[in-house]
Amino acid sequence: MSHTVFHGHNVELNEEGFLTDPSVWNEELALVLAKAEEGLDQLTDDHWAVIRTIRAHYLETESAPMVRSICKTTGLPLKRIYELFPSGPAKGACKLAGLPKPDGCV
Amino acid sequence: MTTLHLGVLLAIAWAVLTMTFLHLKAKSYGIRKLYSKPAGDPAKGVVYAFTLGMAPWAKESVMMNLPSYGAGLAFHAGVLTALGLLPVAAFRLELPSFVLFSVRLFTLAGVVGGFVLLMKRLVNPQLRGLSCPDDFVSNILGSTFALLAFAWTLSPVAEVPWMAEAMLLLIYAPLGKIRHCLFFFTTRYHLGAFFGRRGTFPPGGRFHA
Amino acid sequence: MPELDELETRLVGLTETDIQRGLEVFRSKLKAAEASYLNSCVHCGLCADSCHYHRMDSTLENIPAHKLELISSVFKRNFTAMGRIAPGLVGAKPFNREMAKAWVDAVFGRCSLCGRCSVNCTIGIALPRIFRAARAALGTMGLVPTDLQATVDNSLKHGNNMAVTKDDWVETVQWIEEELQTETGDPGAKIPLDKQGAKVLFTVNPREPKFFPLSLLASAKVFWAAREDWTLASDNGWDLTNYGLFNCNDEQAGAITQNLVDAMERLGCQTLVIGECGHGYGAARWEGPEWLRKSYPFEVKSILELMDEYLRAGRIRLDSSKNPIPVTLHDPCNLVRHGGICEAQRRVLRQAVDSFIEMTPNREHNFCCGGGGGQLAMARYKQRRIRSGGMKAKQIRESGAKIVVAPCHNCIDQLMELNKEYKLNVQIKTVAEMVADALVLDA
Ligand code: SF4
Ligand code: SF4
Repeated sequence: MSHTVFHGHNVELNEEGFLTDPSVWNEELALVLAKAEEGLDQLTDDHWAVIRTIRAHYLETESAPMVRSICKTTGLPLKRIYELFPSGPAKGACKLAGLPKPDGCV
Repeated sequence: MTTLHLGVLLAIAWAVLTMTFLHLKAKSYGIRKLYSKPAGDPAKGVVYAFTLGMAPWAKESVMMNLPSYGAGLAFHAGVLTALGLLPVAAFRLELPSFVLFSVRLFTLAGVVGGFVLLMKRLVNPQLRGLSCPDDFVSNILGSTFALLAFAWTLSPVAEVPWMAEAMLLLIYAPLGKIRHCLFFFTTRYHLGAFFGRRGTFPPGGRFHA
Repeated sequence: MPELDELETRLVGLTETDIQRGLEVFRSKLKAAEASYLNSCVHCGLCADSCHYHRMDSTLENIPAHKLELISSVFKRNFTAMGRIAPGLVGAKPFNREMAKAWVDAVFGRCSLCGRCSVNCTIGIALPRIFRAARAALGTMGLVPTDLQATVDNSLKHGNNMAVTKDDWVETVQWIEEELQTETGDPGAKIPLDKQGAKVLFTVNPREPKFFPLSLLASAKVFWAAREDWTLASDNGWDLTNYGLFNCNDEQAGAITQNLVDAMERLGCQTLVIGECGHGYGAARWEGPEWLRKSYPFEVKSILELMDEYLRAGRIRLDSSKNPIPVTLHDPCNLVRHGGICEAQRRVLRQAVDSFIEMTPNREHNFCCGGGGGQLAMARYKQRRIRSGGMKAKQIRESGAKIVVAPCHNCIDQLMELNKEYKLNVQIKTVAEMVADALVLDA
């Protein structure tokens, strides 16, 4: 277990840096995670578009969306997604969107 | 042939019988029937495992631990020489002087090698942590055996303690880790067959690039 | 953390019956080879630094022989005469809660089943075979780390380990097909789904459609260039992964393998081709028939072998100058040391890139990336995974290459993390991606 400090509160992260409780997520926390986990000082509109897409999909289905649907919803080309999130859609974008770590080889 | 020699002979018989039992017991676990299509020849893997696969340069673990490897070689050479010396003593054979010289050299080297390994086991905390009493007993039995064999080449006075030690060693051998004198061969065989079947042994490439 | 996590709770709740069942399962996994291995270790300790865990963190717990000893001590106590008569002398120990905990820590927490210790062992003990038996025993006792088991459960339930739905999979394939057409300029370029009687049934790692489809695009482009008669399955049987190799539950592993066998039968294909994935290849090619206790009526190949064949037969041509950046190659344990595919990927790469630099050591002596053995799925051991991967990071840095090619999606994920943690500043690619970039396309 590790923690990240947010508004003076300790937010619990699992060993991989994913939120242990996805429901505590909000956009401010995404910024904190971006800094702590991805080394991103700022999030651009494109970042937000991806994060919100993932979050909305998660709230609806409790799973991470396919990268296909991220591209389709945001209108961003695939290569742009990898530029935006150097750790990739799973360990990068999904983490910032407050999702639990997806199962599998990620 | 004295009673002492007879005792050693009995100890040998015990060692051979118990080792055979251990071997049969391990075999009784059964051979795994394999269904995947082999990519290579298990037999070639076995040959490799017992030849080039044992070369020092084939194993990083050896290259990184050359002194230990040397000590191990010396130790084993010493114990095996001492074993080979048993019939010489029993049948009162004359050894040509150069053979005698080699016997002294090997047994002495065995003592030194055994001692070095024992010290390493005592001093290195991780190795000590890995050890159980059997490791120490086995080392001491082997080293003493080589030492007494060496002593015997200098003076027949050593014969009685040496033979007694031989009996101890042979009786103990199947009980503790010295059983690797059998299982080394079966294990290497299985390793070679496994990697041979998969086409990894013998390696097509070289160790380093 | 005063709270117990799930695994610890299960440990505390272990009953004598669980312990006995564990022992039985352990015993049932042993054959003559394993019985020999368990009688062989001489505690010389020379294997210590062959293990990347020990190399990066020199503690007793990380020595392969120590992990082995935890298991052989139980073996001695329960299955050998000397272990019963003189346990103290030969280091025989009972199997109880503490020991089960130590087993979990050793075989799940400190081992990627890479087998590097096997080739370095003085005696020649294939240690992972023993660790696998121990994992199977722990599985029976409910002690597989939750997230690793969840990955297996996904496969059992959804036919793939990321729970990708059929619609999502098919839609992604169609999307990649459009990309393929754009890239090749050939509107007839296809990614055939469920093509009856195709020669090749190709399989991928779910991580490709889910998050990283560029490698699928690259493979498709190579097949297109070689005019291969290939297909993907739209339903169960497109996922090559099998985490049953890691939880070591042979029944579950067999059931997952059965998906591939069924798809081969359903579609009437001749060759099952495993995409770039080490454990997937090991599972489908080597362990699958053992789990199912029958030989396949078809061939299994890695896409690496296929690309090698294409090049030899002149079915594809490459221009290495299209890949001028220096490249090094990672050898996935399950593909190379345990899989026997050592040279195909090298022959291919030498033609696909200008400058190919071997890592040292390589081939069957290569270091595990640290992500094998199901480590990537077990969050609780992340720190150790990253630390043990330091060995691979060092190899990569010393190679001086700027691209690391890894024919395994599992390794790629670990390498991506190592890239970040150790600031390696490299790109990580599959072999097919390099080949696709170097393709010479006839007009
Ligand atoms: S199999 Fe690999 S990770 Fe496991 S103990 Fe051996 S060298 Fe270490
Ligand atoms: S190298 Fe082999 S025999 Fe020596 S301690 Fe390691 S596992 Fe045991």
